[in-house]
Amino acid sequence: MDEGYVEAGGKGVRRVSRRRFLYGAATALGGMAIASCSGVPFGGSKQKVHFWNLFGGGDGARLADMESDFVKSHPEIDLKATTLTWGAPYYTKVSMATVGGRPPDVAVMHLTRLPAYAPAGLLEPLDPDVLSEYDIGPDRFLPEIWEAGKYNGEIYAIPLDTHPQVMYYNTDICKEAGLLDSDGNLKPLQGRDELIDAFQKAKEITKEQGIAFAPADAVVPWRLFYSYYGQLGGEVLSPDASEVVLDQEKAEEALSFLVELTVDKQFTPSNQDYAAAVAQFQSGNAGFHWNGEWEVTTFLDAKMPFSMAEFPDVFGNKRVQADRHTFVIPKGIAKDKKAFDAALQFVGSMLKSSLIWAEGGHIPAYRSVLESSKYKNLKPQSNYAGVADKVVLDPKAWFSGSGSDMEVQVSVPMQQAMAGGLDTKEAVKQIRAAMQELVDTPKPF
Amino acid sequence: MTARAETVQQKKVNTGRRTDLTGYLFVLPFLIAYGLFLVWPVILGLRMSFFDWSLVGTGTTDFLGLANFRELFGDPDFWASLWHTILFTLLSTPPLVLIALGLALLANRAVPARWFFRLAFFAPYVLPVSTVALIWVWLYQPGFGLINSYLVSLGLPEVDWLAGENVAMLSVVIATVWWTIGFNFVLYLAGLQEIPEELYEAAALDGAGAYQQTRFITIPLLSRTTFLIVVLQILASLFVFDQIYIMNTSGGLNYTVTRPIIQYVYEQGFTQYRVGFAAAMSYVFFVLILVFNIVQFVLARRRRREA
Amino acid sequence: MTVTEARTPGEIQEKTAGTGRRRLGNWLAFGVLLVAAIIWLIPLAWAIDTALKTEADTTAIPVTWIPASGFTFESFVEVLGAGNLLRWYFNSALTSSAITVIVVVLASLAAFGLSRVPFRGRTIVFWVILAGLMVPPQVLIVPLFTEMNFFRLVDTYPGIILPQIASPLAVFIFKQFFDGLPHELEDAARVDGASRLRIYWQIWMPLSRPVIAAVAIFTFVLSWNNFILPFIMVTNTEMMTIPVGLATVQSSYGVRYADIMASAVLGGLPLIIVFLFFQRQIVQGIANTGLKS
Repeated sequence: MDEGYVEAGGKGVRRVSRRRFLYGAATALGGMAIASCSGVPFGGSKQKVHFWNLFGGGDGARLADMESDFVKSHPEIDLKATTLTWGAPYYTKVSMATVGGRPPDVAVMHLTRLPAYAPAGLLEPLDPDVLSEYDIGPDRFLPEIWEAGKYNGEIYAIPLDTHPQVMYYNTDICKEAGLLDSDGNLKPLQGRDELIDAFQKAKEITKEQGIAFAPADAVVPWRLFYSYYGQLGGEVLSPDASEVVLDQEKAEEALSFLVELTVDKQFTPSNQDYAAAVAQFQSGNAGFHWNGEWEVTTFLDAKMPFSMAEFPDVFGNKRVQADRHTFVIPKGIAKDKKAFDAALQFVGSMLKSSLIWAEGGHIPAYRSVLESSKYKNLKPQSNYAGVADKVVLDPKAWFSGSGSDMEVQVSVPMQQAMAGGLDTKEAVKQIRAAMQELVDTPKPF
Repeated sequence: MTARAETVQQKKVNTGRRTDLTGYLFVLPFLIAYGLFLVWPVILGLRMSFFDWSLVGTGTTDFLGLANFRELFGDPDFWASLWHTILFTLLSTPPLVLIALGLALLANRAVPARWFFRLAFFAPYVLPVSTVALIWVWLYQPGFGLINSYLVSLGLPEVDWLAGENVAMLSVVIATVWWTIGFNFVLYLAGLQEIPEELYEAAALDGAGAYQQTRFITIPLLSRTTFLIVVLQILASLFVFDQIYIMNTSGGLNYTVTRPIIQYVYEQGFTQYRVGFAAAMSYVFFVLILVFNIVQFVLARRRRREA
Repeated sequence: MTVTEARTPGEIQEKTAGTGRRRLGNWLAFGVLLVAAIIWLIPLAWAIDTALKTEADTTAIPVTWIPASGFTFESFVEVLGAGNLLRWYFNSALTSSAITVIVVVLASLAAFGLSRVPFRGRTIVFWVILAGLMVPPQVLIVPLFTEMNFFRLVDTYPGIILPQIASPLAVFIFKQFFDGLPHELEDAARVDGASRLRIYWQIWMPLSRPVIAAVAIFTFVLSWNNFILPFIMVTNTEMMTIPVGLATVQSSYGVRYADIMASAVLGGLPLIIVFLFFQRQIVQGIANTGLKS
C-alpha cells in the first residue's frame, strides 16, 4: 500500500490534507448551491433584461455607453448584456437558444439575416400599436428603412443603423499627395483612373501600401466585390432566391478591378487580414483604407490624422455594400409580459441614445437623431450619411446575410483571384457554382 | 472445493430467480441512463437522417428516403472536412506516439527530479481546451506573438501560423501535441516500469549496449502499450472538434483547410438548421469509426493469440 | 503478470545509476528532458506572463518577458470583476461533481452486478455496455440536442449532467477490478445472510477505494473539460461551464490579450490545483487502465 494511505470511510485519499480539501470544496459548493437556490446573492427581484449582441472592439465600447444610459434611466431594470463572437457563432447560439425555449429577451440582428429567422418562426411579430407606446413607429424612421424590417406584412426588426463600407484616408498623406481640396477634404475621386492615381501617389509617399484592405478576411472580399458589382448594376439572385442571376461580364469586371489593385499594382498585400489592414492604416503605412465605418472609433482613439469619405464611385452609380443592425425579440418572450415590456423599453432607450452609436460611425436610423444638428455636426461620421439610400444589401435569402456561409464561400475564389492564383473568369464561375449550390440546398423550414 | 463452497454453490442454484432479479436491479440504473442517453440518441439519429428534420422543428415527417445520404456523398465540403479530420489524425498520431515514447524512455533512466518532468509534460493535459486554444492563438500571432518573435530574432521570416494555407493544420497539430502528450507519456512510463530489470541485466551481461537493449527488449515488450496508445490516439484524433472550432472562431485560424467533419456536422445541423442532414453525416462517420473499431479489435485479438 | 507484480504501476521507481557509460547516458537523457520540459512549460508560462502585463505591453515589439511598465494584476481583477468567470466556476464545479458521483454509483453498481451476481443474460448485457465504448459523444450531438430539447432540458443543469452519467468505460474498469477480488469475503457474508446490496456497500466499495479514486478523478477531469456537450446544450451565459464560457463570450472591448490570457489562466487553474493534489491518483489511474486494457 502507498505510504500515508488512510484507512477510513470516504473516498480514497492519500493524506488527510486531501480529505480536508475535498470537504472544504464540498462545503463551499453546498453553500453556493443553497445560496443560488434561494436566489438572493445571485440577483434580486428586479426585472431582468437579457440582451445579446455581437459588438466587439470600438462598437462594444459605444454600446456599453448606451447601455449605461439605459441603466441610469431605468434603475428598476437589471440589464444583462452578453457579447458573442461576430458571425455564425452568434447567430447559431441565438437560433439554438430560441429553439430550446430559453432565448434572450432582446437581441441584435443584421437585417440581411431576417429571411433566416422570421419565416422560421424564431422571432416575435411586433404590434405597431404596442410599439408606439415606446416611441417606436413608422413615423420615427425613413419609410424604406422601416419597411425593410417587415416580413409578410408583420414587423419583426426595429432598425438601429445603416453601416456601409467607406473610404478612410490619411489627411497628412493625402495633403502631401495634393489630393485635398481647400477645406482639407478629399477631392472626389471619380472612376478607376483617378482612384488608381491617388493610390499610387499614396504608395510612393508611404513606401508601403497605397490602400490597406483585407483580401485575406473571410468576408471582406465579398463586401468589396458586391459594392463594385452593384455599381455595375448587377444582381446575384432573383428576388425569390430561386435562381442565380450572376452576370458573368459585370462580375468579371468588378473582380478584375480588385485583382488589379492587389496583383498588378500591389497597393495592398493579398494575404493581409482584417486586423493587419486596420493596423497598417492606423500607423500611417497606407494612405487609404476600405472598411466599414465602424472602425472610426479605433482611429479616433489612435489620434491619427484621418477623415472619411463615401466609398469611391468607380463604375458610375455610387452603390456601396452595407447592412443594417436591428433589434429583434426572439419567439417566446412575448408570453412574459413584464419581460416583453422591459425589452421594448430597452430598445426605445437604445434608439434614443443612438447619437452615441453614430459617434461610432454608423448612420442612425432613428430620425430624431439622424436629422438632429448634433449628428450633422459629427465629423467625419456624417460625411457619408448621404449613401443611406444608395446601399446594396446582401440578396434576400435564408442562407445569406452578414457573416453567413454564403459570404464566406463566395469570398474564397475572390481571395484566390486577388492572390493571383486564380483567373478572374474561373473565379466568377466558382462564385456562381457556390451560389448555385446554396440555392439548390432545400430550405430547412 | 471446500464443504462450505459447495453449500454456497447450492445456495446460489436454489435462489436462481431471485439472483436474476437482483442482478437486473444492480445493472438497471446504469442501463436506464445508458439507454436514454446513449442508445436512444443513436436510434433517433438514424431516424432523423431519413427525414427532413429542421432545427426549428419542421420537416419531422417529410420522409426523404436516402436523399440526405445521396446529398452528403456528393457534397465536396463533406469529403473535404472528412479529409481534414483524417489529415489531422495522420499528422498528429506519429508525434504523439513517438515523442511520448522518446520522452518516457529518457525519463525511465536514472535521472533526478522525475516528478518535475511528469509535471511539465502532464500539466497541459488537465487544462480545458479553451485555455489551450487561446494560449496557442496568442503564441501564433504575427508580430508580437512569441513564436514569430523568436523566429525573427533568429533571422528567420515570420510564419503565418493561423491564416497560412499550408501551415494552419500544422499549427493545430503542434498545439494538440503539447496539450495531450502527457497522457501517452504516463502510459508509456507505466509500461516501461513493467519490464523487469533482470532482462536488461541479462542482456548487459551478454554484451548488449543501451541501444540494442532498447531495440530488442524495450520496444517489443512495449508493443501492447504502443498498440493501445496508437488506437486511443487515432480514435481521439478522429473526433477532433474542440480546439479547431475555437481556434477558427476566436483565433482566425484558416477555416477552409482545417474544418474537421464534426465541425461540418455542427454547422450544417445548428447553423444551417438542417439537423436531418447533419444526422445523416454523423451516421456515416459513425459507421466509419465502427469499422475502424472492429478492425482494431480483430487485430488486438490476433495479437493476443500470438503473444 | 510477471514476478515484479509488487511494483505499483505509475510509481516512479528510482533506479540505480550503474556504470560510467550508463551514467553519461543518464546525464544526456537528463539534459534532453530538461530542454523538452522547459519547452513544454513555456506556453503556460508565457500565458501567465502576458496576463500580468498591461494591455499596451502585451503588443509591444520587441517582445520581452519583462514588460516595460512592470507587472500588474489588473487583468485578473478585470476578468474576475466582469462577473461571468465565478459563475462558470460554480457551474463547472456543480456539474462535474454531480457527474462524478453519479457515474461512480451507477457504474460500480452495474459492475458489481455483472461481476458478482450470476444472473441470466449477464454476458449479453456486458457486451451491450461495452459496445457503448465505440459510440463517441461527438457523433451524438445532433440527436442529443433534439432529445434534450424534447425534454425541455436545454440550458439546464440536468441537460449538461444527464448525457454524461452513463460511462461504459467506468463499468469496464470497475468490473475488471471486481473480477480480481477474492470470493471468500463475500461467501462468508452470504452464508451469514447478507443481501447482495449490503455486500456491495459494506465490503466491496471500501475495498475499491483506489479504483473509485481513479474513476472519480478521471471522470471529474474529463467532465470539467468537456467542451462539445455543454457547448451544444447551453446558450445562456450564466449556465455555461468554464470551457464553453471562455470560448464563447467575448470582451466587449475588443481583443485585449492580457484579459484573454488572464481568463484562460484562471480557467485552467482549478484543474491544475486538482492535479497538484491528486497527481498520484490520476497517474496511477491512467497506468492501471492502460495495463488492464
